[in-house]
Amino acid sequence: MCLSSSIRWVIGLGIVGFLGSPTPAFSDADLAAGKDAYEANCARCHGPTGAGDGPDAKRMFPKPRKLAEGIFKFRTTASGTPPTDEDLFRTLSTGLPGSRMPDFQRLSEETRRNLIAYVKSLSPIFKDQAPEPIDLGKDPGPKEASLAKGKEVYAQLGCASCHGTAGRGNGPSAPTLVDSWGSPIRAANLTQGWNYRAGSGVKEIVARMMAGIDGTPMPSYADALSSKEDAWHLAYYVHSLQETPHWNRTIEAVKAAGSLPADPEDPKWQEAPRTDLRLSSTVYQQGEIQPTSVNAIGVQAVYNEDAVLFRLTWQDPNESREDPPDAVRLFLLQDRRLKFQVGSLRSWPAGPDAPALDVCSWSAKQDSAREAEQMLESNDSEITSGAASSSRSQDSYADGVWTLLIKRPLKSFHPGGVTLSTKKPFLFGAVVFDGGNGERDRRRANSNWVDLVLK
Amino acid sequence: MNTSRKIMLGFLFIILGMGIANPAFAAGATVSGKVSFEGAAPSREKIKMAADPVCLGAHKDPVLSEDLVVNNGALQNVVVYMKDGLSGKTFPAPTTPVVIDQAGCQYHPHVFGIQVGQPLEIRNSDATLHNINAQPKLNKRFNIAQPTKGMKTTKTFDKVEIPVPFKCNVHPWMAAHAVVLDHPFFGVTGENGSFTLNGLPAGTYTVEAWHEKLGTQTAQVTVADGETKTVNFSFKAK
Ligand code: HEC
Ligand code: HEC
Ligand SMILES: [Cu+2]
Repeated sequence: MCLSSSIRWVIGLGIVGFLGSPTPAFSDADLAAGKDAYEANCARCHGPTGAGDGPDAKRMFPKPRKLAEGIFKFRTTASGTPPTDEDLFRTLSTGLPGSRMPDFQRLSEETRRNLIAYVKSLSPIFKDQAPEPIDLGKDPGPKEASLAKGKEVYAQLGCASCHGTAGRGNGPSAPTLVDSWGSPIRAANLTQGWNYRAGSGVKEIVARMMAGIDGTPMPSYADALSSKEDAWHLAYYVHSLQETPHWNRTIEAVKAAGSLPADPEDPKWQEAPRTDLRLSSTVYQQGEIQPTSVNAIGVQAVYNEDAVLFRLTWQDPNESREDPPDAVRLFLLQDRRLKFQVGSLRSWPAGPDAPALDVCSWSAKQDSAREAEQMLESNDSEITSGAASSSRSQDSYADGVWTLLIKRPLKSFHPGGVTLSTKKPFLFGAVVFDGGNGERDRRRANSNWVDLVLK
Repeated sequence: MNTSRKIMLGFLFIILGMGIANPAFAAGATVSGKVSFEGAAPSREKIKMAADPVCLGAHKDPVLSEDLVVNNGALQNVVVYMKDGLSGKTFPAPTTPVVIDQAGCQYHPHVFGIQVGQPLEIRNSDATLHNINAQPKLNKRFNIAQPTKGMKTTKTFDKVEIPVPFKCNVHPWMAAHAVVLDHPFFGVTGENGSFTLNGLPAGTYTVEAWHEKLGTQTAQVTVADGETKTVNFSFKAK
């Protein structure tokens, strides 16, 4: 090709301009502006000097990064080398879902660029080493990509040792994984695209796999792949494992034509809309957050004249039947306004005088009947059990997924409980315990209050 | 010392260093000795390999932890090296690699010395995934996957660092340690706890012994050309 260097330069500029991502040389002025922006927006988590020791740091999992240490997870560069400016720009612009790192779209692009200059001044790694960008190859497009080949590569490369065969973060090595800072870390649940830190798109998956995620057990596969095409087949396969969540603030119980479905796989369930609820927790020990592992629960419901039947499904990396067992509790409130009196489920019961709540409780403990119970619960120590109206349940655990039916009579066993009807919406909340993670009592994953409507 | 003399001296040392690297030039001094463990040897834990059937299937007998190995009072897996006494001298990095092999889901060797710039060849002899997660503080970190049997990767270290830890996250019991030095005077104690450092330039040295669990010990020694001196170390349970 016979381009003069100045023309090439102009074309180069044009491309950079087109991508909207110029990489200007950072001047001192940028750095000073970056420092101000850092102190205003970042220091409360990452600490004033980037030591990861901001006042909010302990209350998070994963912890805010020690930016001064120079270990960066989400790169498109060789393992151990620093991220590119574009990698950092992406992190700042989109945030890191599944962690407390927010996106900074509200700051101008210029401010974000200044912040990058400042972040880079916090760690010597940017002086000592140049980023080594990895050639990610070419996207073959969804038509050319082979999921079958991708599945083969997934097995070949041993992704399943950590992520599990179905990608649910439950591989044989998963329980023992520790990050470079000595904290236990989970292998990402690949079926939850919404929870990927740095993007659930095919290209991002290729980048994660080729570059590895430094500071975590996830290694770089850049030298382990027999071809770049394989990386893309694999990424399309991983992408195909992602399940679309049905986030909603209402659970619609549908009227059963005839009897209630007998088991979780009954085709009747296809007619009941599914609502996915996000779960979270705020339990601290010596100021440090105690992470919980179940982050969402899917709820479907059908009802007849006598009872409502809930079909619950959630992902838990291991099945725990004992000490403490996996468990679920469903809470009902008679009236929407009670929400303000009761407060958030995360902090329930707030004190000894917390109002009694109507609870359906199920545990995986392997006793004779393995039943769910309806009860009125006033706080953790006092339980009034309505043994007379306990309801039969069916459960199954397979490859990282619990599926469970809980039946509850429309009418409460106790006058203080909730009697369901089609007349108005009720409030519904769920808490999930992962026994394998030592969760019991207040250490549990909680939903927000949502409406339950009998259609 | 004026600059020209410094340059002259440096030049001399380079020549000396080259002489040592060349086995035909077997002059120099020797420091050798034994590393022992005082007190009752702790029993070695059995490693549970059940998480990976490939690892489990590779062993007939139970595999024992390697982080503290004592045989009749002799302490194995101690790296002994010259810590001080060689400053100003440079030693070209050997081109022959140090090989670390992953076989039976264990690192072979478990500890080793390596020179700055010397290639480290990492091999996987198992039909299962290992990730080699090296987390040095001064050198470049890396965490790479070796999913197939027969795979080889070469890495080098460019700074002196004691130690550089290696681990595999797939098999949490797998750990290895490298001692990275800028000279070739190091050895690792075997079953009998002994080491030999030969071909040393005459001089006064600080010898250091490093153990992954027990830490370090040092000793001073002065050797003349052609002389052999003995330095012994003794570690206690921490
Ligand atoms: C509310 C807390 C919080 C605030 C505010 C915050 N961060 Fe973070 N940040 C985090 C957490 C938590 C992580 C670690 C996520 C993980 O490890 O998966 C993180 C990670 C990062 C990373 C590492 C990304 C990587 O590839 O590993 C960078 C860079 C970063 N933050 C920069 C910033 C900057 C710049 C600001 C201010 C504009 C900022 N953060 C504000 C919580 C925060
Ligand atoms: C040694 C264990 C291990 C192996 C093997 C492994 N991963 Fe991971 N992977 C992890 C861990 C741990 C995380 C979570 C990192 C975090 O939360 O910061 C992760 C995260 C991910 C993510 C999420 C990235 C994001 O943006 O959040 C993807 C995608 C992924 N891995 C794909 C793969 C693929 C594909 C393979 C096989 C080629 C693989 N992993 C092999 C441990 C592993
Ligand atoms: Cu391994």
